[in-house]
Amino acid sequence: MSELRRRPWAWLVLIGILAVVGILLAIIDISIAGKWPTPFAEAVVGPTVVQQESGKAVTLRFDRSRAGERVIFAPPFAGFDPISPYQALRAFLTNGAGLIILALAALVAFPSRARSAVERLEARHGVEIALGAGTVMVLLTLAATTLLRFTLLFLGVVPLVLLVSLVAALFGIACISLAIGRLLHRRLGLASVHPLVAALVGALVVFDLAVIPYAGVFALAAVAMAGLGLAVVTRFGSSGGWTFVDLNF
Amino acid sequence: MITCARVRVLLEAFVDGDLAADDAARVRAHLSTCADCRRQHDQAISLPFRLRALSSPVPGPSLVGDVMQAVGAERGGYRRSWTLLVPEALLAAFILWYLSGLDGLSSIASGVFGDLLSLGSGSLPHVPPVDVLLLVALIALVVVAAFHLSILVRLASPRPAHE
Repeated sequence: MSELRRRPWAWLVLIGILAVVGILLAIIDISIAGKWPTPFAEAVVGPTVVQQESGKAVTLRFDRSRAGERVIFAPPFAGFDPISPYQALRAFLTNGAGLIILALAALVAFPSRARSAVERLEARHGVEIALGAGTVMVLLTLAATTLLRFTLLFLGVVPLVLLVSLVAALFGIACISLAIGRLLHRRLGLASVHPLVAALVGALVVFDLAVIPYAGVFALAAVAMAGLGLAVVTRFGSSGGWTFVDLNF
Repeated sequence: MITCARVRVLLEAFVDGDLAADDAARVRAHLSTCADCRRQHDQAISLPFRLRALSSPVPGPSLVGDVMQAVGAERGGYRRSWTLLVPEALLAAFILWYLSGLDGLSSIASGVFGDLLSLGSGSLPHVPPVDVLLLVALIALVVVAAFHLSILVRLASPRPAHE
């Protein structure tokens, strides 16, 4: 441990390992393809083999190299789709980078709120409470949006409710990423580093969890629900918490 | 000239800055000449010595009971926060069954989407017919979930320093 503590580049090694693990898991995920529930199969990264309809114009503006069609290998087992490292890399560079950028943006925009939320998450029973609150919030949102569906007046509110839930979940995922990075920092005894680097490592862990074949969708759902719950119980990381004092006048 | 015995009496008030200006000047003059009184003064101004000199407050008779009640309430709240998942799960299962499972939910979602699109085209959507039983179940789930959430919020709240 003390060996690692002296080496700040251990963080770089960790980031590299997590990135490679994510890409490898994405390769397996893509190879398993449409066998539910694999979140990074066709729905997210597109088909492993690009098929062109003859005579139909296809724009190559976003894929001029067509490397995805060349870097492809036969599946080792029958019943699986071809192994496509290029598609896996693309999945990492799109979904992984998207997740990391959103997480870091939330931390940069609301640092004090993120700190407050992470402190609450690291407190006793913090994870259980966040997960429980997330589950309750999903039920609450589903019930509320279903109720609103049966009205005409509040129909337009439904997308707003869903949007707020999505933003809350993203803020929570950012805080969870930072908490995971801090946990790894403590457990692995790594050198002190900028908190955004720790959050980046945490976001990579979340991405890796999301691309675990079959279990990934459940892991991502659990993280998203815990994030939503954390954002709600801490009122987006407010230091004051929920209070109704102002209503007692 | 002030005596050592008198200085010892005045020392505490001197350290606290409560002495009158002339008394303080006399004590200060005495300390500059008397090593014994100076040692007493040094002790008096040291924080650990002053803390030791403070008497410990006698705990009230209800202290243990209050602590145990507070801990018990927290444990009870934590337990209750999980047991509430049971009625919520039952209500959610009932609603899902009533809506014909995930198909019903997805049809509601697509209905919302379609109706919102039709709003854009200028025509008012038709509100789908709904059973009062389903509405009551949905409202009950909202109420139970909101109550559940309030318990979880209390559990997650930072404890005020004065408590």
